[in-house]
Amino acid sequence: MSIFTPTNQIRLTNVAVVRMKKGGKRFEIACYKNKVVNWRAGAEKDLDEVLQTQSVFVNVSKGQVAKKEDLTKSFGTDDLTEICKQILAKGELQVSDKERHSQLETMFRDIATIVAEKCVNPETKRPYTVSLIEGAMKEIHYSVKANKSTKQQALEVIRQLKESMGIQRAHMRLRLVLPAKEAKRLKEKLKPLLQVVESEDFDEQLEMVCLVDPGCFREIDELIRSETRGRGSLEVVSLKDVEEGEEKF
Amino acid sequence: MGPPTLDKIRALQRNPRNIRNLCILAHVDHGKTTLADCLVATNGIISSRLAGKLRYLDSREDEQSRGITMKSSAISLHYSNGDQEYLLNLIDSPGHVDFSSEVSTAVRLCDGAVVIVDAVEGVCPQVNAVTGTLFTSKVLEEQAEREEEEELGGDQARDWSSRPEEADDSLLYFSPDQGNVVFASSVFRFAHIYNQRMGIKAEVLLRTLWGDFYLDAKAKKIMKGAQAKGKKPLFVQLVLDNIWSLYDAVVTRRDKEKVEKVVTSLGIKVLARDLRHSDPKVLLSAVCSQWLPVSQAVLLMVCEKLPSPLDMAAERVEKLMSVGARRFDSLPEHTQELKRAFLRCSSRENEPLIIFVSKMFAVDAAALPQNRQRPLSQEEMAHRRELARQRHADRMAAGCVDPPARPDTGDSAAENVTVTYLPQASVSLPAKMESVTPEEEEEQQTFVAFARVYSGVAKKGQRVFVLGPKYDPGQGLSTLPEGVSASDCVSAVPHLSCCSMERLYLLMGRELEELEEVPAGNVLGIGGLEDSVLKSATLSTSPACPPFTALNFEATPIVRVAIEPKHPSEMPKLVRGMRLLNQADPCAEVLIQETGEHVLVTAGEVHLQRCLDDLRDRFAKIEFSASKPIIPFRETVVRPPKVDMVNEDLGKQQKVAIIHKARWSDTLNVDSSGLVTLTTPNRLATVSVRASPLPPEVTGLLERSTELIRTLEQINMSLREGRSLDISPRTLEAIAGFKVQLESLLQGRKWRDVVEHVWAFGPRRYGPNILLNRVAGYQRPSLWQCLGGGVQAGEAAATRDLDNSIVSGFQLATLSGPMCEEPLMGVCFSVEKWDIQSSVPPQHQEEASTSRGTPADCKGTGSGATRPEATEHGPIPAGLRPEAAADCYGPVSGQLIAAMKEACRHAFQAQPQRLMAAMYTCEIMTTADVLGRVYGVLGKREGRVLHEEMKEGTDMFIIKAVLPVAESFGFADEFRKRTSGLASPQLVFSHWEVISSDPYWVPTTEEEYLHFGEKADSANQSLKYMNAVRRRKGLYVEEKIVEHAEKQRTLGKNK
Repeated sequence: MSIFTPTNQIRLTNVAVVRMKKGGKRFEIACYKNKVVNWRAGAEKDLDEVLQTQSVFVNVSKGQVAKKEDLTKSFGTDDLTEICKQILAKGELQVSDKERHSQLETMFRDIATIVAEKCVNPETKRPYTVSLIEGAMKEIHYSVKANKSTKQQALEVIRQLKESMGIQRAHMRLRLVLPAKEAKRLKEKLKPLLQVVESEDFDEQLEMVCLVDPGCFREIDELIRSETRGRGSLEVVSLKDVEEGEEKF
Repeated sequence: MGPPTLDKIRALQRNPRNIRNLCILAHVDHGKTTLADCLVATNGIISSRLAGKLRYLDSREDEQSRGITMKSSAISLHYSNGDQEYLLNLIDSPGHVDFSSEVSTAVRLCDGAVVIVDAVEGVCPQVNAVTGTLFTSKVLEEQAEREEEEELGGDQARDWSSRPEEADDSLLYFSPDQGNVVFASSVFRFAHIYNQRMGIKAEVLLRTLWGDFYLDAKAKKIMKGAQAKGKKPLFVQLVLDNIWSLYDAVVTRRDKEKVEKVVTSLGIKVLARDLRHSDPKVLLSAVCSQWLPVSQAVLLMVCEKLPSPLDMAAERVEKLMSVGARRFDSLPEHTQELKRAFLRCSSRENEPLIIFVSKMFAVDAAALPQNRQRPLSQEEMAHRRELARQRHADRMAAGCVDPPARPDTGDSAAENVTVTYLPQASVSLPAKMESVTPEEEEEQQTFVAFARVYSGVAKKGQRVFVLGPKYDPGQGLSTLPEGVSASDCVSAVPHLSCCSMERLYLLMGRELEELEEVPAGNVLGIGGLEDSVLKSATLSTSPACPPFTALNFEATPIVRVAIEPKHPSEMPKLVRGMRLLNQADPCAEVLIQETGEHVLVTAGEVHLQRCLDDLRDRFAKIEFSASKPIIPFRETVVRPPKVDMVNEDLGKQQKVAIIHKARWSDTLNVDSSGLVTLTTPNRLATVSVRASPLPPEVTGLLERSTELIRTLEQINMSLREGRSLDISPRTLEAIAGFKVQLESLLQGRKWRDVVEHVWAFGPRRYGPNILLNRVAGYQRPSLWQCLGGGVQAGEAAATRDLDNSIVSGFQLATLSGPMCEEPLMGVCFSVEKWDIQSSVPPQHQEEASTSRGTPADCKGTGSGATRPEATEHGPIPAGLRPEAAADCYGPVSGQLIAAMKEACRHAFQAQPQRLMAAMYTCEIMTTADVLGRVYGVLGKREGRVLHEEMKEGTDMFIIKAVLPVAESFGFADEFRKRTSGLASPQLVFSHWEVISSDPYWVPTTEEEYLHFGEKADSANQSLKYMNAVRRRKGLYVEEKIVEHAEKQRTLGKNK
């Protein structure tokens, strides 16, 4: 009689395997689906809700349990719970469907929130709402990449949205103080970077208040610093030029 | 009688003595529009068979489909009584509570009203509301009690038998005695019937019909004290019982014989066809309409009892003319003279023209009379033929050059625009019409003002002053030259503008008729005002005229929804549509919030539905979605609690679990007292920050004085720049006062000398959070330096950029807190230590410290300070290489900003954190019988009753409660549903309130474990709010994706 009679078998369903290589050996544990990420984030605190069984395998699908001496050699202990926790924390995991779904959804929201924070409607100088941006992102069929940062993707989304709707990054309001000598020359250089020059005051030194695209800030800053050797200055008056307060029609 | 011709109406309009302006008011579904139908039918505009079914004045599609009136609409009717001919300007009003604003607009234009009370349902809340409106607008009123057979069973109807009594109580004003109650076929006729039958004198009956009287059947005498003896009151006995028995016979029991008996005894004829009809309602209406013909009785009474525009009460005129709290006597003399013009109501040429516009309503351009197709008259045809011939001749002469302009068809310029629009006509049309292509025209919405002439004659094309609600006639008179007319455009006076009345219309229900002029006392429509009048206005030729008092609305708009287009590119269309909607609806409000949301505020769910339909189908013509608006929250910290959740003293107990997982890292250190020390990534700078709650009064003070703080900040900014600013003494005084107030509020050991050490306010430099400078030995220019005079700008120049980084970090931290990225409120961050070990050689110092690539509020050293940085305590390792400043972590100032922000956030998290919710105060007026339900709804929505009191002399309770804004969506609707409309809430934003529950709470003590269990999964209000916000923003929410691992769908093979 083989040991694989139905009565002797423990069949696991809905398995998510977490693997770890340690000491040249591969160890696996059998977990429930959609639980490992929660455990890592700390939302799930009950180990029994994560592990299907507290045994460590060499191969879960074949049901080969790891040998005790291998475990002791690799982990320095034969406490299975402790080893399982280590593998859970450091091993490579399979992301289950719901986990992936919720991750992408969170990222999608996050991107929309960042876009809504950074951008305004150029006509009204008021921000768009997050849900409107979400709608627009769905309309252009933007797909979230799980391995790129949300900020990076948000900038990408802004670029794409510009083609379908009136949207622009909220301008920064800067005050530039340039020494009289370099003012004229520098102004020519700065001109393409400045969106709107709101005021210009030229007595001893040139003082300008202007709106710029936040993307150009670093460039302007560098230009002023290198050209004036520290005598010119740059001051951020407001980070976002948006209308404030409520407006009644 | 056929429908009255336009000429006839024109003639009648000239005689104000025989004009009656009235509106019909009642509770919802009590038959206002049905009555209006009956009245319209007398003029032959609709068939009398259809009266009551057609609802002629409900011209909107949704009004017809839902069966309720949603707007007030007017119609002019003709009625002749003997040799007197009357013109009735009838205004039908909606009965639903959501549209009570429409009632106000209707009442304002009328001299009298017909109040309908359904005898089966009795006096309902809305009747009280509208009579209240009537009283406040000082319109003399009339009561018409009319029977309406509702589909209530006879038994049910009997339960109401005591209701007319109540009606009597609440409306003491009306009595049959004065003959101002129509009981369908009029009380007089009733009295005569009983006179014949019982031998009771009609006069006696009239006096006693309402009140505590009863009829002793044996003695055939009317006796007093019906209630005491348990008898039915006379009114019930004589009037209602008869109607109920008829109803009983016809509908409930369907007793043929009895019906016939009734019919013969009433002496009326009913067609055999109606008698045989299977639907008892047909028979009922046949009997009733013959027995009690309503329209004639109402018309007669209206003409006899209602005042004509000539008899307007002086008191009412004064009330209309004196805005707000101003007394009439205090108005300028010229203005007081106008009162006489009001009372004269004369239409002579030299009288000043006074018009009040109570609302603007949108009309499809195609429905306007000038755009309607109309058969050409002989003359016009001849004229056109002449023109065509002439043009043909011209073309011949000019060699096929199109004539640039053509002569007017009419004589005057005004007539020019009224020429019929005939798309197929070969003749080119006047310029104005030409520019409108048929397609565009379809889209166009024209606004017509719903108005009434109080004095003078309104002429087409006349220029008038438009007086805004804040216009002051005294100011206007003194500014404007004597005898100025509206045709010379004046713009110097505030709230005064000019416009011309391009078109005048006679309102005929769903149709408009063009008029040349409208004399005083008439209701009219005015076209071409949409640019100068928003919702309501006063028009006059005299600048002395005061603006009329604003309409008082029974319902204030409280239902808020956020609206956004389905396709983001259609945003401009939506905005335009919302503007139009705002103009068209007297009660709807439209606003853009700081978050960019477009919010529509309406009076109730039904009103909201109508507004959305209008927006979708008429104004914006796009697809959009309406959703719950975004609810703002604030984050704050509180003092550590002394007791745990089961009210046990915390000090004595063993903590079973540790709440905050200490997240130590090598750069972050949090000590047990909540002091957070954070080092920048390059290990050169360290800040120690502690967070503590501000007393609520201080938070309140800071919130109130944002404007002042902003000014203070500007002054300081310019002082730092080395410029001096002219500050008005008044501002300085205000700042000093603010400082004193702050000092008086911040008492106690903990807050000693705090005010002097205030570093900054935040977020955005003027918010309700404070940054404190508690660094030993660090002197920085005081925030209050504009008061003290001692300017130390020079000294501070060197550390300024680093100082600024700290402030910027604080600003960023207060702008979005760690709980759900909402702004902080009422938190005090004190910087206890500040250790900057970096110092670069002077020539590179600026380079190191100006922010590079960090788009935050940090400033470069404007004056080019070259002093070495030495004010910081701590060692200054000399000779740091310049490259070190721009190491892999970026510039120092940028790092400092980030470090400060993080330190603030950690300091915040080290304290017990709480959410603050925006709260509405909610005033509810309700009757005693639904009091329990009111409390039920409030409790379900986390509301808290502040106090409850009974209104003197009534059975109404006034409840004041607070309710979180987050719970207010759908509140008004639920409220009305649950209380059957007997209570309606008014919501006003009042304050921010700390939600007492801790969002991060888990049971820690043994007692708590006992009480709540290990999971503590009882509802945590603030956790719910926090997670909702976090989910909306796409932040991480600590929630399990699946609750139970074993309960997932099994996808493996079964074996």
